[in-house]
Amino acid sequence: MQRLLFGEFTRNYREGLYSPTPMTPLLTFHDNLPLSLYIHLPWCVRKCPYCDFNSHEGGQDETRQFEYIDALIRDLEQELPRIWGRRINTIFIGGGTPSLFSVKAMEQLMAGLRARLNFYPDIEITLEANPGTAESDKFKAFRALGINRLSIGVQSFNDARLQQLGRIHTASEAHAAIDLAQAAGFESLNTDLMYGLPEQSVADSLRDLEAAIAHEPSHLSRYQLTIEPNTVFYARPPKLPDDDVINKMQEAGDELMARQGYQQYEISAYARPDQQCLHNLNYWQFGDYLGLGAGAHGKLTDVSAGTVTRFARHRLPERYMQLAGTTDVITEKRQLYRIDLSLEFMMNALRLTQGVSPDLFRQRTGMPLSVIEAELKHAENKGMLTWDLATLKPTETGQRYLNDLLQNFMPESEAG
Amino acid sequence: MEQIRNFSIIAHIDHGKSTLADRFIQLCGALTDREMSEQVLDSMDLERERGITIKAQSVTLPYKARDGKTYKLNIIDTPGHVDFSYEVSRSLAACEGALLIVDAAQGVEAQSVANCLTAINLNLEVLPVLNKIDLPSAEPERVLQEIEEIIGLPADNTIQISAKTGQGVEDLLEQIVATIPPPRGNKDAPLKALIIDSWFDNYLGVVSLVKVVDGSLEPGKKMRVMSTGRDWLVDEVGVFTPKRKKCEQLGTGDVGYVIAGIKNINGAPVGDTLTLSERSAEKPLSGFQSVQPRVFSGLYPVDSSDYEAFREALSKLKLNDSALHYEPETSQALGFGFRCGFLGMLHMEIIQERLEREYDLNLITTAPTVVYEVKTTAGEVINVDNPSKLPPMDKINEIREPIIYADILLPADYLGNVIALCIEKRGIQKKLQYLGNQISLGFEMPLNEVVLDFFDRLKSASRGYASFDYHFIGFKASNLVKLDILINGECVDALSCIVHRSLADVRGRELVEKMKEFIPRQMYEVAVQAAIGSKIVARQTVKALRKNVTAKCYGGDITRKRKLLEKQKAGKKRMKQFGSIELPQEAFMAILHVGKDS
Repeated sequence: MQRLLFGEFTRNYREGLYSPTPMTPLLTFHDNLPLSLYIHLPWCVRKCPYCDFNSHEGGQDETRQFEYIDALIRDLEQELPRIWGRRINTIFIGGGTPSLFSVKAMEQLMAGLRARLNFYPDIEITLEANPGTAESDKFKAFRALGINRLSIGVQSFNDARLQQLGRIHTASEAHAAIDLAQAAGFESLNTDLMYGLPEQSVADSLRDLEAAIAHEPSHLSRYQLTIEPNTVFYARPPKLPDDDVINKMQEAGDELMARQGYQQYEISAYARPDQQCLHNLNYWQFGDYLGLGAGAHGKLTDVSAGTVTRFARHRLPERYMQLAGTTDVITEKRQLYRIDLSLEFMMNALRLTQGVSPDLFRQRTGMPLSVIEAELKHAENKGMLTWDLATLKPTETGQRYLNDLLQNFMPESEAG
Repeated sequence: MEQIRNFSIIAHIDHGKSTLADRFIQLCGALTDREMSEQVLDSMDLERERGITIKAQSVTLPYKARDGKTYKLNIIDTPGHVDFSYEVSRSLAACEGALLIVDAAQGVEAQSVANCLTAINLNLEVLPVLNKIDLPSAEPERVLQEIEEIIGLPADNTIQISAKTGQGVEDLLEQIVATIPPPRGNKDAPLKALIIDSWFDNYLGVVSLVKVVDGSLEPGKKMRVMSTGRDWLVDEVGVFTPKRKKCEQLGTGDVGYVIAGIKNINGAPVGDTLTLSERSAEKPLSGFQSVQPRVFSGLYPVDSSDYEAFREALSKLKLNDSALHYEPETSQALGFGFRCGFLGMLHMEIIQERLEREYDLNLITTAPTVVYEVKTTAGEVINVDNPSKLPPMDKINEIREPIIYADILLPADYLGNVIALCIEKRGIQKKLQYLGNQISLGFEMPLNEVVLDFFDRLKSASRGYASFDYHFIGFKASNLVKLDILINGECVDALSCIVHRSLADVRGRELVEKMKEFIPRQMYEVAVQAAIGSKIVARQTVKALRKNVTAKCYGGDITRKRKLLEKQKAGKKRMKQFGSIELPQEAFMAILHVGKDS
């Protein structure tokens, strides 16, 4: 290798001028990263006007569901060499509306996964469910398949709000769905709520929260409704409450949840003690994940080569099903360089209220924390984060203005 | 020499000058159709994009006339915007004739009148030409009458053409040959060549566009630049066809380029005279008046580490733009930068754009200002081109501001609007004359008011029909005050401006309102105040942003969130940090937007 002055080496290293190739593994990993599996089931009964996820109407036909599961398994088989020998920590079956799938189809999926992958014994397996598709027998059968966590997309317990959001269910169906899930044995249960809805008052938003808490779910996710491009709401924006009102909703909600024993651990996630969503924690702690299904994303670290790569798969369900099992299903494959890695690590880790151990940076990016020392100091001086031997975490200001904080870690040239 | 015709084309923006030049080039077969990228004469990207001509250029075309002889046509391009009117007189000085192109639908415009009068004063043969006669809205009768009444040119022989379709263009070429006189010069006298323009080429060094008045110039001879007395060996002479084409020599009456290994643009100043060192002319040609910048503004790199690159870029631009002036300046708020002098607002915009585009610099530009003469109580007169440099009020005896005379031509329907606008801009009416369907208005106005937004306002007050030309007449004492802007209680020197006392309160109020619109909500509250001396005249508050965080992360798709971050960061690119808050470029220019919507 060329002899370089230390200073110059550090500069080039920081700026990613040396590409990590197998010959010079400049990213140094001592151990495999924890590995999760994300499975995308892209169909919904109806597309909601605020939703910008990769979801498509249809999929109620069971034959299609089986075909899709087959495609997922083909896709998985093609990926196996990339994750050879690694055990799976968590699985998240998201959508779309995964609960739309029949018990038989889900059984085939779970059997197919178990036959090919090595699960940790205490693996967390989450399934997303829509209250409009909740049935007692179905939930029981899902639980029996080893799915041990249910995330129910309630959004609101107010019928007028639900209608505005284009949801296919009513408030009473939402209550019933949570009851059914608990009766089916889902002790680990999340309810999704939104606030900042059209015509919503602070009191309304707190009533939604109280209604959810009354069921004592182990986990709550509470999102602010935001208007995203490529949605119906973007084209015809509804009138949303004033900023100050929305802010009040957030503050009052946080207070209420804290009082009821739900501790915030991420920007939108709240949990009873030891009930955090391990799958999401793995994203936020910058672990590895394999993403299967239409439009699914993945991130995998090759420890021996010293590389980190992101993958994205074809978005359209029909195309995905055609291409699954071939490498053509992957539409994007991008190796991450040093500056990407430090930014993306921070984009995830700084979402966590309690932050992370500084040592995690080295474990997950293969670089010493010193490569971003200047950026960290700058952010620290601005009162956006704190940083010592034990923890690296955002301050309250840093959490509120996370995007401003993250811009510290962005390369200048990318801003064009 | 008898077969040379040197002429310029005078036209208002959009009246079809460049299209006509293209048509000439095509007709004379100088370029194949394939080489003919539209509008050859405007060679800078920026010129083509904006549809305007900035620098004088020339093209030499062989034209086989109906009399069987082949004539050498030298077309010297002229800029069509008031900011560059000095370039017009330079181009005209090299010609014996000029075409006045008038849009048959829109009629005569003030700009063309001014340029046309310059041409007449230089004893040029002016040929009026009616263009765009193919338009359904063309009114040749009315426009011909305007040419007679406003400019005083006999219009009976006016050629009617359509540069777009090519109709009448050949007849026009014939008329040029017949009417415009050949150059008068003595080919046996010692060389006298006028430098019309000089520019710096990375490969060739300084290239000068010259008109040979007497004698001839050829490679291998030693030429002398008369003002400096320095001698240079001529490397190459030639013409633009419009491609650069080497020639054996430039003879008397020719317009072409000279390359003589000069490395610095000051070595061949525009307006200077070239002669031969072995047999030199006694007296130089009269040359041109040097131009004074009228509009000043501070330019600062957003990132202070770009300062050296910025200095470098300015010195390079200066090589080809003698009208650009700059000197280092420091602002408490913006750090190190340069105070730059421009001919006008368009010139300023163009320079700013070139700096950003060609040199990839990220700049904050302060609001444009004019230069004031300040008489201090000590009896001294100083020039102030930066409002923050104004001495304290108690040290000032008198402030004098530059006054211009504005010529405005407009259709009668908009007279009320335009007069109201001129009066709002502190204008004093000097002339009102009906000429056919148009009215000619004369106003004396402070330049300060004109540089701000007069152009845009005039266009909107007249739905685009009014045209405007101005010239500087002198300095005049006026009751002016400095309006300061405070951000979170701190005076930002780069935002100060000088306004008339009678307008100060209103301007202050409007200015802070505009600033509020331009400053994005951010982590901290931003209070914007306007103050005259220690008196606060207006205040607005930009409320703090409650949060800036993306809530959802879908299935591990971090790419989308990154794009959002990148977009936010790009938005901040032109923001300047002030302590904990950030001001966007637009905020510094807010004064330009004051009063626009009212």
